[in-house]
Amino acid sequence: MLFNSYSFIFGLFPAVLAGFCLLGTYRREWALLWLTAASLFFYAWWRPVNVLLIAPSILINYGLCRFLEHTIERQPARARAALTGGIIFNLCFLGYFKYLTFGTQTLNDLFGTGFILTQIVLPLGISFITFQKIALLVDVHAGRVGRFTLREYALFVLFFPQLIAGPIVHFREMMPQFRAASCRFDAENAAVGLSLFFFGLAKKLILADPLGTMVAPLYDHAAAGLPQSMADAWIAALGFTLQIYFDFSGYCDMALGLARCFGIKLPVNFNSPLKARSIIDFWSRWHVTLTRFLTAYIYMPMSLSAMRRRMAAGKPALGGRDRNASAFITLLAMPTIVTMLISGLWHGAGYTFVLWGLLHGTLLCINHAWRLLRPSLWRNTAIYNRRAAPAAFLLTFVSVVFAMVLFRAPSVSAAIVLWKGMIGAYGAALPQAVLSRLGPIGSGLVALGVHPAWTSGSFLLMAASRIAILLVIALALPNTLELLAAYEPALGVKPARAPGRLLRLASWHPNETWAFGLACIALAGMLSLGGLHEFLYWQF
Amino acid sequence: MDIRFDAADLDRVASRRQDASAFLRKWLMSLSVLALMVATLNLLVDPYVVFGTPRLPGISLFKPATKNHAMLAKTFQVDRAHPHTVLIGSSPVHIGVDAAASVWPASMRPVYNFGIPGAYETSTSLQTLQEAVTTGGVADAIVFLDFQNFFSPENPDPVLQEAARRFRFRPDGTPNPDSRQQRATDMVLALETMGALIDSLTTIALQRQSTVLDLAPNGSGTEADFIGAARDDGMHDLFAQKDSFEAKRLDKLAPIMAGWHGTLPDMDAVASIIAFARTHGIKLTLVIAPHHVDALELYWRAGLWPRVEQLKAELAAMVAAQGGAVTLWDFLDYSSFNTEPVPTAGDRRTPTSWFWEPTHFKKQLGEVMIQRMFGTDAPKFGTQLTPDNVAQRNAQVRADRQAVVCDRRGVMLTALDNPPTDRCAGTRTAHAPT
Repeated sequence: MLFNSYSFIFGLFPAVLAGFCLLGTYRREWALLWLTAASLFFYAWWRPVNVLLIAPSILINYGLCRFLEHTIERQPARARAALTGGIIFNLCFLGYFKYLTFGTQTLNDLFGTGFILTQIVLPLGISFITFQKIALLVDVHAGRVGRFTLREYALFVLFFPQLIAGPIVHFREMMPQFRAASCRFDAENAAVGLSLFFFGLAKKLILADPLGTMVAPLYDHAAAGLPQSMADAWIAALGFTLQIYFDFSGYCDMALGLARCFGIKLPVNFNSPLKARSIIDFWSRWHVTLTRFLTAYIYMPMSLSAMRRRMAAGKPALGGRDRNASAFITLLAMPTIVTMLISGLWHGAGYTFVLWGLLHGTLLCINHAWRLLRPSLWRNTAIYNRRAAPAAFLLTFVSVVFAMVLFRAPSVSAAIVLWKGMIGAYGAALPQAVLSRLGPIGSGLVALGVHPAWTSGSFLLMAASRIAILLVIALALPNTLELLAAYEPALGVKPARAPGRLLRLASWHPNETWAFGLACIALAGMLSLGGLHEFLYWQF
Repeated sequence: MDIRFDAADLDRVASRRQDASAFLRKWLMSLSVLALMVATLNLLVDPYVVFGTPRLPGISLFKPATKNHAMLAKTFQVDRAHPHTVLIGSSPVHIGVDAAASVWPASMRPVYNFGIPGAYETSTSLQTLQEAVTTGGVADAIVFLDFQNFFSPENPDPVLQEAARRFRFRPDGTPNPDSRQQRATDMVLALETMGALIDSLTTIALQRQSTVLDLAPNGSGTEADFIGAARDDGMHDLFAQKDSFEAKRLDKLAPIMAGWHGTLPDMDAVASIIAFARTHGIKLTLVIAPHHVDALELYWRAGLWPRVEQLKAELAAMVAAQGGAVTLWDFLDYSSFNTEPVPTAGDRRTPTSWFWEPTHFKKQLGEVMIQRMFGTDAPKFGTQLTPDNVAQRNAQVRADRQAVVCDRRGVMLTALDNPPTDRCAGTRTAHAPT
């Protein structure tokens, strides 16, 4: 069941919240049990058989956690073996459903074999669930988590606001909240939660989804190998970047809002990533909890292990004045590339995702290298920060947009077609109708080599204006976390110390203006749930 | 840990809760009122003519939003029209054949135009005909056939997919149990969706424009889009843009069509249309719609003309097998109607008389066709096809084409960049209307 469906908004969610608050007035345990059962129902809605897959996985992982608790001090070797076994079990579980088909295809591509697999249906949210379970096993092994019951573990894994697409939460940040939750109706939580939810719904349905319809034909053309004009290629790249931006931003807001209605604060997962001024900054804003997971459980162990080996060999570490290329490559570049490769694979089983991960890994390495080198090239940091900021923003933005093409393109060859289009390899073309309306400017453009094309001028204008509006929203306006900062919309979010004028004016408060404003936003979102999806006939 | 709250803290918490409770009450109230207002507005404006709300001058007299929802609008509208004659086809019919034209014989009225823009499968025509007949009282059906629709891509017509749940009958003639529920859903969506709200507001905003797209109660569409585009860009650009589009479309279709062996695909859909008409006692007229010479030249270039001739021959044979119960008219030829010159680039003033662009004829030509088929004193345009005259007709059209490409190639845009190499000796000029 999707958050943006009639059945969820008008059926399941109100029913679960009402049951939770009602049972909470009698016994907290009943309310939490109800929440777990409702989450399981939510999970089963899409494909009931998935419950048969996730339930044994929960039981096995819980058993492993208990085993680790008992053996960690008395039999550390057995505990370590159990941890390794647990991680392998979870990775195999994920690998079977998510990567077997891709692995077989890669094998066929590399060795010309002809293995055929029947289609394996991916259980909902398996990537998120697997990472959370692995993180918990590691945390239990490290002694960072106290004892817990099976019911608590099941609620942690299944809690429906974060079940499908994150955020990837830690047991230690969730369980104290569940244990302290009043499990009763709290008007402030409901007001903040519903506001977040409807902000997210509107982002998803009004801002993101129409872009999907807009860019789909362009990616189809690229997939067919048809050359793309510069304008169309940029529309495809920017359009999809903004689509996924508002889609994921909307989803994260909805998840935060739903959890908040039950008195639970989820961690920040999305924080205006397009405003980033470096790729490192981008990854501290985009899918924050994934970055946190990958950093803590993949990057850091790799980097620390390499560091220990270097130190044992008497080689310098990275930092201070003793910088050298081998330290950079061993301690930073390699772990970064591997981590981002895994990130790419985690996002999807396909060559395009692998390349996307490698590309971002490379960009991160370049960014890190620049951070190390820049002080010796440009000594005055204050002036550098001021003067280089616009260029840094632009470079980051363009890099992200270029890389996003891989995320959407159905194949690497389609992505190459679009990239070539973006750099003008197929020439620049504008619709004849647009050129003729531009008058002398149009003639000037033709003289500069812009070809007239018999394509729809209205599409170009609609796409350009839509992209421009959404860029202003993404880049110039405060985000949801900033608007609701006074009410801690996500774990640890605090109001800005010196908020700008716009933010001071627009900050969310439970007043009449926002009640009406949110009603408009909520109605706009709910009106966009359904639609008369008919064939659009607009061309002549 | 010693946690203490003083009275001020408790007051602050209570105050915040009160504020939040008041906020939720006001939010819920605003939401309900706004939702009611939206439903009322959509019902009043009725942008998709789903409810049949009386049209109000200045508010809802014209229905521009039906442009993208023609199937939805017409499925509801045809119930209210109670037609004697239905016109079936795609956008050329929707725009080019006026159901209210004065040339319709009195015995055939009222006429309803069930042409669906964007429909590209012959089977869509069968389903729209079935739907029209459920209204009761349909005695005449005129089905316009498009050559290219006989080679539709493999994926189902999206127009038909969207409407399949709404129609009262399935393609096999059995009742559709989902129809009632889908129509109820359509009504709810026409009241409470963002698209409907935007379309209602757009409908109101566009009422005062000089040319507004509309859907008449008899199903006929207006030519407002073409009028606007011709005014802004000129007729040349309209033709050139459509030529470019058609050329790309034919690039995809040509390999399938050129190498086709045996009976043309989709002929079974025509057979079903004929059988359905016979079963329900409906007088059926099949029409091969006219194209401008630009479009015809694209067929020639793609090597598809033999398939055009095959279509005519197969249709003539199929119709003849019905023993006179069905009539077949062929307007896909060369005449002064479709060989009028296209104005030059940049000319935004000179109009054309008969075509908006290569595949969409104007209402004037629609009237000529109605007169030719059902009236008297009509110009000699098009031919009623039979198995006896189809070979002669095909030969005549080839000869007329030769004359056009040799003597009057300036009339078409498609001939400019790649002149035909056919021999021109002994050709004659296409016949003029009388």
